Amino acid sequence: MSLTLSNPDNPTGFVAALRKHFFATKLDAVISLVFGALIIWFVMGVVDWAILDAIFRLENRDQCTYEAGACWAVIESRGRLIMFGLYPYAEQWRSTLACFVIIATMVLSCVPLFWSVRRLPALWVGGFTVFVLLMRGGFWNMPLVTSEQWGGLALTLFIFSAVFVIGMPLAVLFALARRSDLPVIAKSFGLIIDFVRSLPLLTILFAAAVVVPLIAPEALQGNKLMRVVVAFAVFFAAYQAEIIRAGMQSTSAGQEEAAIALGMPYWSLVVDILLPQAFRNTLPSTINQAVITFKETSIVTFVGFFELMASGNAAIGTGEWGNQYVEVYVFLAFIYFIFVFGLSRYGAWLETRMRLGHG
Amino acid sequence: MADPAIHIQSVDKYYGDYHALRDVSLDVPDGQTLVICGPSGSGKSTLIRCINGLETYASGSVEVLGLAVGDDRHLCNLVRKQVGMVFQHFNLFPHLTILENCVLPQIRAIGKDRTAATEEARTQLARMQVDIHAEKYPDQLSGGQQQRVALARALCLKPKIMLFDEPTSALDPEMISEVLDVMQALAREDMTIICVTHEMGFARAVADRVILMAEGRIVEEGTAEQMFTAPTHQITRDFMKAVQR
Repeated sequence: MSLTLSNPDNPTGFVAALRKHFFATKLDAVISLVFGALIIWFVMGVVDWAILDAIFRLENRDQCTYEAGACWAVIESRGRLIMFGLYPYAEQWRSTLACFVIIATMVLSCVPLFWSVRRLPALWVGGFTVFVLLMRGGFWNMPLVTSEQWGGLALTLFIFSAVFVIGMPLAVLFALARRSDLPVIAKSFGLIIDFVRSLPLLTILFAAAVVVPLIAPEALQGNKLMRVVVAFAVFFAAYQAEIIRAGMQSTSAGQEEAAIALGMPYWSLVVDILLPQAFRNTLPSTINQAVITFKETSIVTFVGFFELMASGNAAIGTGEWGNQYVEVYVFLAFIYFIFVFGLSRYGAWLETRMRLGHG
Repeated sequence: MADPAIHIQSVDKYYGDYHALRDVSLDVPDGQTLVICGPSGSGKSTLIRCINGLETYASGSVEVLGLAVGDDRHLCNLVRKQVGMVFQHFNLFPHLTILENCVLPQIRAIGKDRTAATEEARTQLARMQVDIHAEKYPDQLSGGQQQRVALARALCLKPKIMLFDEPTSALDPEMISEVLDVMQALAREDMTIICVTHEMGFARAVADRVILMAEGRIVEEGTAEQMFTAPTHQITRDFMKAVQR
C-alpha cells in the first residue's frame, strides 16, 4: 500500500497549504483577509514613503519641505553628527576605527574558541585598551579627545560592552555571595541586590555622575564616564545576579553532592559545575537582560553624554532639519535593530548548540 | 586485629525534631562488603552519607581510615578522596562528556595531569563496558549505562572504600542486572564496600554481612542467609517478605 500525493482528501502544494493554514474555517478566512489587507496597506505605505517617494539626494533646499516621501538627505547631511556626536570632525576616523575594534571584540568573544578563562579576559582587556587609546589619543599625531567629547555609536557600544564586561563577573560574585553559607554575607548581599533593584537606573546614574564628586575624595572619583559605567554595571549585576542565582538553584542538589563526594574543591564546583549549568539554564533571560541593557544605554543622555540617541536628537534639534525627525528616528531604530537582532539570533544559535550537548 | 576501615560510634542525627539516627554504632573491617537494608525512612542513606561528610551529625564520632569525619573541612576532604560514592540518580555532570565526567574530578580533586587522567578514565570506562560512549553526553545514555559511568568516575580516583546509595532503585528493571554485575565484580576484589539496597540477590551473592535498619537504629545483623532463614525480629521478617515479593 502506498500513500499517493494525489489523494483528494489530503492534497499538497501551495493552494492546499494556503487553505490549511489561512482558510480552514470561515472565521479563519475572515481573520486572514482582514489582517492580510492591513499588512498589504501598511507595507505599501512604508515602501511609498521610504523608497518610491523618497528623496535621497538634495537638489535644492526646499525640496524636502513639499515632498510626501522620506527625505533621506538628512542622514547624508547630519549622519556624522548622529554617528560621532561631539567628537572633533577631523578626528572622526579614530571613532570609526574604535567602533570597528569594539565590534570585532564583541564578535570574537561570541566565538566558542575564545571561551576560556585566559582568552576572554585577554581579548576584552586588549579590545578596551585599543578602543580607549584610539578615542582618547594624546600621542603621536592624535590630539587628546577627553571622554566628555566622545559620542554617538562609539559611546553607545563602549558603554554597553563595558557594562556587560564589568557587570557579568560582578553578577557572579553577587549571586555566589547571596548563596553563601555565612548568614552575614548572604543577608547583606541580598540587601544590596534588592536595594539596587528597587532604585530606578536614572537615580543611580545621577548619583554616580553628580553626587559622588561631592562626597568622595578626588583620588577615588575617576572621570564621569568611568563612574557612570561602573554604576550602570552594578545596576546590571543586581539583575543578572538574580538570573544566575535562579540558574544555580535549578541545577539539582545532586550535582553539588556529586562534586563534593568526588573531593572537588569549592571553586571547581562553582566554576566547572554550577556556573556552566546556570548559564545554560538561563540563557534566554541572560540574552534578554543584554538586550534591555543595550537599549537602556540611551539613558546616559540625561547625565550629559552624547551617545547615539542624544546625537540623533541633536541632529534634528536645529531648525534646518527639524521636520525630518521621523527619518532620523527610523535611522536610529535601524542601528539599534541591527545590534539587538544580532544579539537575539546569537542567543538562538547558542540555545541550539547547547541542546546538542556542547558545553 | 587491624583497625576497621570505618568506625562509627554512637552517632545521633536530627532533621529538625525528627530523630533520623539513634545511637548508631558500626565497624566495617577492611575489605568487607556490607549491605544495609531496611524500610524507607529508616536512616540507611543518612548513615552512609555521614561516612563521607555529606551529612553532619549531632553527637558521636565517625572515623574513616583513621581520619575523623566531622566539622574539620580539611579532614573531610582527605576522606572524600579515598571514599567513592554512587548515587541513586547517577548525578553525572550533564554539560560534560562521559570522558570529561571522569577526567575533570581527577584533575581537580587529586591534581593529576590531563594525559594521565584521560588514560585512567578510559581504563575505568572500559572496565565498566561503557568506553564506546566516551564522547557522548550523559542524557544520550540509558540509566544503566549512566550508573556504570558514575561508578567508573568514582573508581578513577582509586578509592579504598565505595559507598552505594540505592544504586539500582532509579533503574528500569531490565537494566538492574548490568549494574549489579559490575558491582559484584568489584565486591570480589578487596575493596571495602557499603551498599544501601533492597537487592537481596546481590546481598546473597557477595555480601559478607547484612544489616537491617529501622527507625534510625540497627535492628539486626548477620549474613544474608541468616536474614532470610532465621530472622530474630518481626521487622526483619516483614521486610524480607516484602522485598521477596
